[in-house]
Amino acid sequence: MTNSIIYLLIAAVLAGAAGYLGMRAVQHGQCSRWTVAWMLLSFVAQCAVLGIRGELRGQCPLGDFGEILVFLAWSMTIFYLVIGSTYRLSLLGVFSAPVVSAMLFMATVPGMMEVAPKRAVDVRPWHETHAALSVLAYGSLGLAAIAGVMFMVLNRKLKHHEMKSGLFLKLPPLNLITASMVRLTGVGTLVLSGGVFCGLLMPNKTDAGWLHLWAAVVVWISYTVLLTIWQVRGMTPSRMALSVIALFLTSLIVFAAL
Amino acid sequence: MDLLCLGLSHQTAPVDVRERFAVSAERLGEASHELTQKPGLEEVVVLSTCNRMEVYALAEDLDVAEQSIKTYLAGDHAFDPADENYFYKRVESDAARHLCRVASGLDSMVLGETEIFGQVKQAYTKALQASATGRTLNKLFQKSFSVGKKVRTQTMIQGGQTSVGSVAVDLAEKIFGHLKYSEVMVIGVGEMSYITAQRMMERGAKKIYVVNRSIENAQKLADEMGGEAVSFDDWECVLAKVDVVVSSTGATHPVVRPEHVEKVRAKRKYRPLFIIDIAMPRDIDPEVGKIEEVYVYDLDTLQLQADENRSKRQEQVRICEQIIEDEEILKLSNTNKNEYIK
Repeated sequence: MTNSIIYLLIAAVLAGAAGYLGMRAVQHGQCSRWTVAWMLLSFVAQCAVLGIRGELRGQCPLGDFGEILVFLAWSMTIFYLVIGSTYRLSLLGVFSAPVVSAMLFMATVPGMMEVAPKRAVDVRPWHETHAALSVLAYGSLGLAAIAGVMFMVLNRKLKHHEMKSGLFLKLPPLNLITASMVRLTGVGTLVLSGGVFCGLLMPNKTDAGWLHLWAAVVVWISYTVLLTIWQVRGMTPSRMALSVIALFLTSLIVFAAL
Repeated sequence: MDLLCLGLSHQTAPVDVRERFAVSAERLGEASHELTQKPGLEEVVVLSTCNRMEVYALAEDLDVAEQSIKTYLAGDHAFDPADENYFYKRVESDAARHLCRVASGLDSMVLGETEIFGQVKQAYTKALQASATGRTLNKLFQKSFSVGKKVRTQTMIQGGQTSVGSVAVDLAEKIFGHLKYSEVMVIGVGEMSYITAQRMMERGAKKIYVVNRSIENAQKLADEMGGEAVSFDDWECVLAKVDVVVSSTGATHPVVRPEHVEKVRAKRKYRPLFIIDIAMPRDIDPEVGKIEEVYVYDLDTLQLQADENRSKRQEQVRICEQIIEDEEILKLSNTNKNEYIK
């Protein structure tokens, strides 16, 4: 077993523990304050994985599906850690930790990560920046989708007068979740703008590269339109949440298919 | 020396009797000090709230101390023997246990309420400042504060609101977070709507609009709450601005119907709207609750939640009592009176 797989397993287990302990705390109607600490430790292990893979490749570690998953999990964790402390939305960890853990475990499946990746001969800065910014943006957009799920859960409970569960008591107020969801979508779209811009500047694009880039442009336009409607015309928060979830899942499926 | 607690409360005396024996907050320290000068009394703390009047004392002689307290509380008049039945007396560990129960909110009208803790603390501080306390009462009160904190942190005795108004305000906070950016519209000037709006203001609501068929009554309530009176014909315009609607009119048909809300949705940019219907028959057409961003709660739902919270608190009493029983101060007083007193 390589070092990167060992760190990957550690990171996945830590994120899983964050999710499990968080869920248990919420069920008992307590604060899930340890989720942040577990996620922080998982983040350190994820950094180690990416560091080792980056060293092996001699470039940004986004060369195979396993690395993309780890990078996506890493960017979701980093946004969670930033948002968690700013908005005191530690419950977001309860929802995002299992997703991060699942992604990391998926990356450990044999075949996901090249055992001995080829070391890059030349450095392609636009290509690497495009890939890194795009995945980073997806971290933020993924977290926005998780906030969207949180919104839908609380919204349903409020609509149906279900006020007894620990989850209801511990979920942050609806407006706070909405604000976080919109802010994360905004940050994700902004970072994606940088990714798309770098993609347009990439030299020697292949047909597959162009297809990939156009898909990214369509995703960027969709998020921009969504944010514009929200800001200018207004939209029910539940429709915004559904849109954010649907857009994220659709774009993930599209990119996986490409 | 014996520890004595002599008092009356909402459980033993009606409000007019409690009023007669009440000591104002400004006079708590003075009263405590004056009582220490009376025969049979050494250390004294006078606790007086709207629901209770209690004197905690270290007494040389229990009977003499009891008489001194009653005479003092009667003031210029002689103590009426008819009032005797309203008083309760606790001594030694029972007195210490009682104080712990009081500080923990277990003896309060609203089980587990937090205000009493501050009131006990204030009574003790005033007595301390008036040099009416000594080593025994200092130790006893400090202990009761730590027990009170323990009970509140280790149990769910203060979990959930137990009144309809407070449950409604908690729900508003679950939707909007802090209410400082929220505007409230009260339709109808009934007592329940007044109480609910009052709770909203206490939690920092930005502005209150009061709507009523009689603009004079609306103005009266608006003045009391520092809000703005609105004519009944204009309430639909106000609906576009507010976040919370509290309705309790005497109307026999729904006042707020889906078309009213539909008309202002775009203007509100589809922001959430929380509607509290505390009228009977209901003021809000149930179809209004089907609009995506609208949350409608009626009196029954809120009352049910308040009742559930109350019974949950009741379930916690046994655990709270155990925490109090486990305290060393009660054990000491049972086994070694002298050690306790020193």
